[in-house]
Amino acid sequence: MDTTRHLPLKPNSYLLMLLLAEEPTYGVSLLERMEERSGGSVRLNAGSLYRLIAQLVDDELVEPHEEVANPLGVGAPRKIYAVTPFGREVLSAEAQRQRELLALAGSLDLLGEG
Amino acid sequence: MRALRFLLRLFPKRHREAYGEEMWEVVRYRFERAEGGALRRGWLTMTTVLDLLASAVGEWTRVWRRRKTMRGTGLRLDARFVLRSLVRSPGYTLTAIVVIAAAVAANATVLSFVRGTLLYEPPWSEPDRVVAVWGSNTVDGQLRDVISGPNFIDMERESSTLESMAAFHFGGTAMMVDGRPEAMNALEASVGFLDVLGVTPALGRGFGAAERTSSGPASILVSHAFWRDRMDSDPAAVGSALVLDEVPHTIIGVLPEGFEFVAPAPVLVPLRDDLLAADDRARIHYNVVGRLAAGATAAEATRELTGVFRRLEEEWETVTNWNVLAEPFVQVTVSAVRPVIWTLAGVVGLVLVIALVNLATLFRIRAVSRRDELGVRVALGAGWGRAARVLSLETVTLVLIGSALGLVVTPWILARVTELLPVWIAIPQSAARVPVLRAWLDPALASLGVLVVTGASLLLTLPGVRRTVAGPAMGAGPRVHSGIRGIRLLVGVELALATVLCLGAMLTVRSAHRLLQTEVGLEGRGLLSMWVGDVWEWEKEEQVQYFRDIVEAVERVPGVRTAAVIDYPDFMAEDDYARIYFLDRSLQPQTSQREEWRRVSEGLFETAEMRMALGRSFEADDFRGTPRVAVINESFARKHYRDADPVGEFLSTHNEAYRDLQIVGVVADLRSLGPQSPAPPMLYVPNQGDPRGSQGMYVRVEGDPMSYAEAIREAVWSVDPTQFVAEMAPVSERVESWVAIPRATRTLLSWLAALALSLAAVGVFGVVAFAVRTRRSELGVRLALGASPQRLERDLARAITPVVVMGLVVGLGTGIVGARGARAVLYGVSPLDPLSMAATLFAMVAAAGLATWLPAHRATKIDPAEAMRAE
Repeated sequence: MDTTRHLPLKPNSYLLMLLLAEEPTYGVSLLERMEERSGGSVRLNAGSLYRLIAQLVDDELVEPHEEVANPLGVGAPRKIYAVTPFGREVLSAEAQRQRELLALAGSLDLLGEG
Repeated sequence: MRALRFLLRLFPKRHREAYGEEMWEVVRYRFERAEGGALRRGWLTMTTVLDLLASAVGEWTRVWRRRKTMRGTGLRLDARFVLRSLVRSPGYTLTAIVVIAAAVAANATVLSFVRGTLLYEPPWSEPDRVVAVWGSNTVDGQLRDVISGPNFIDMERESSTLESMAAFHFGGTAMMVDGRPEAMNALEASVGFLDVLGVTPALGRGFGAAERTSSGPASILVSHAFWRDRMDSDPAAVGSALVLDEVPHTIIGVLPEGFEFVAPAPVLVPLRDDLLAADDRARIHYNVVGRLAAGATAAEATRELTGVFRRLEEEWETVTNWNVLAEPFVQVTVSAVRPVIWTLAGVVGLVLVIALVNLATLFRIRAVSRRDELGVRVALGAGWGRAARVLSLETVTLVLIGSALGLVVTPWILARVTELLPVWIAIPQSAARVPVLRAWLDPALASLGVLVVTGASLLLTLPGVRRTVAGPAMGAGPRVHSGIRGIRLLVGVELALATVLCLGAMLTVRSAHRLLQTEVGLEGRGLLSMWVGDVWEWEKEEQVQYFRDIVEAVERVPGVRTAAVIDYPDFMAEDDYARIYFLDRSLQPQTSQREEWRRVSEGLFETAEMRMALGRSFEADDFRGTPRVAVINESFARKHYRDADPVGEFLSTHNEAYRDLQIVGVVADLRSLGPQSPAPPMLYVPNQGDPRGSQGMYVRVEGDPMSYAEAIREAVWSVDPTQFVAEMAPVSERVESWVAIPRATRTLLSWLAALALSLAAVGVFGVVAFAVRTRRSELGVRLALGASPQRLERDLARAITPVVVMGLVVGLGTGIVGARGARAVLYGVSPLDPLSMAATLFAMVAAAGLATWLPAHRATKIDPAEAMRAE
């Protein structure tokens, strides 16, 4: 499959996939981590989050990995989402793309000392 | 919160099922973690609602996009599948295409003729208000006759129901071209003519008050075609002079492009009111048209003008027994062609029904024979819609290809049919003729034809799909047989319709044959007729001498046997009446009657090879001095003398030069208005008493008549180079032009019947082929068990025999009833004509037999092993 078709990844998709690559998880937890890791700038609502997930699942970048029982003992079991191997390739390709851009920025002395 | 949960229902089902619960968990999480007062919660509620709504819309858009992409791919796949399956069954494909092409072409052809004739609107202003005004003779039954000049003038003056009126007449004129006179058709019309039609000249002006009297200027208008072709569209043409009949005329206007009235005429010449008024009231000569005043009807005009004639009758002795008939002009021209067009439309309608029934049969059989394959597709989840789509796509593909083919051949068919039709067609109950309007392929009509066929085809295909494909996917079930029962019924209908058409065609063929065999009363082969001379202004003696001289000159042409002149030649829709007074032995008039008469030169009967029935023909002495003798035809003798011998009887005419004539002979009848019309009673007199300034000439030649054309013209010009020779044609052609309509009907009906017969045969073939297909394994087993091929053929034939018999019986019955209704158009053939019925039966049985035998015979070649394996 062609990874370039998905590049560049949209910021929210990129963040979501990176977090799932770090650790597969379920919806609410993913939401919390996205808010946390973005410093509160990414704050998705239910509809937007699951449109994002559905799109990534349809594109075969993310998959429902396994189901675990809801810890409250009520409601439907929780689906744990994970990045697919193809999703990983896309992430890697996106990272590579960004590295090149960063290198360009660095050569222009735009990255500072940090 | 509950209301928010309801919003989840707005998402597409698939999304809701996959993520609905999780979304709800996220919503709850947000609300549980929400801090702050009511304002904060309100804000959260609003953003959640907006987010859910926007996401639902987004999801639905995604679903719609995905479906569209899939449908596109599906359609492409289906199209490929359809094309491949059509190519794989070339027999079916070709048959369906040809049937559709035939249906579309037949449809478009007949609609084009309807458009060109029945629906034709002349380019006049408010053509509905233009009426033809006829004199109707209450004694001789002629409903539509011409009117004399003075009577026209009186009608024009007194009518209030017609706001304008015009008398017109087609005459010949001659224009000098390279020193030779060229005969031209001239439309002579009184001054109000263009007002009646509401036509304004394209250039210059129409006739005005100046042209009303004979002392006025010699003005003419020219047709647009004449101005374009002969005057190079010169804008300076208006005001220039044109020499006609040796007299310079001023062109005062050019008629609009496309303007044509009854017949093409390059020049429009004024008929002067004073000359019309001064004409003999008994000389009926002019056609009359009028424009109805606002609110007036043709019936009111008829009543008013008949009233005018009643008054004239009191005033003038020569005006007797006349009524007036005013009728919409367009209706007059249409009435002449209407029966032919309606017959054709009816017949083509039948062919169309047969073609559609055929398509229904073909499509049904196709659906049934693809039952297994479509069943498998449905079983694999393709859905009914998909199966219907495949069949519709196939139908539409066939219809498009077939229609294209049909429309490509339509102009060719139109040209052939137009060739068959005569240029002129006689108006019923009159001696007048109108040109047959030509047909052209109208794109709108063509599309209508295609739409009808496409729509009907889809209607015929789709309802059967579900029923046909339903049931056990594999193997023949009872449903197949119920399907074929419907098909058989359709084929029965088709056979019945084809039988009706075949019987109609056979009767028409026999009728036309009888008509063409009818003796017209002269020998048309090797005989030429034409108009010669234009010597109206000459002294009578000079005129007589001129026509004698040209006859002699023409007779000197090598190969010409004899020649003679007659004032109005036959078969050219000319008529001329005289008032005839029947005298007793003391030459006192007893009774009088209006009959046709002809003034002829010596040797006319011999040149035309007309047979003398009684007495003698004219002799040389009869053409010296005042005419003393006359010859009548058989019809005249029967009408006025019944069983008595007319030879030796005396009569006089209204014309002073022809008084106290003794009948010396009776000549055989001449059907001068065509073989289908009885010969009118006719009086022949020697022409030296009062010759006509322009005459018809008959020339009897050896070999091909038209090869003498140039030599005859030169001979006429050797007497006087300024005189014209016009409308030269073999008489046999003129005779045939009168039977052109029955002949065209015969040819067209034969074509259409052949088409119907082939279509019905295709239907029968389809049913038997289908039976073979569905019973393949059974037939294989029987063959393997030693059944004889003849036995199988008989069995298969039995499946269709009742249908064929039923179709033939119903068809013949309907055909006979129809033929009895159409008895009036049959000539010399009974609707129960045994020969026609036998021929129809033979043709139908032969076609059905062949169509049955072919597939049945092929069935006996089935390899039993293969047939079993296929199951």
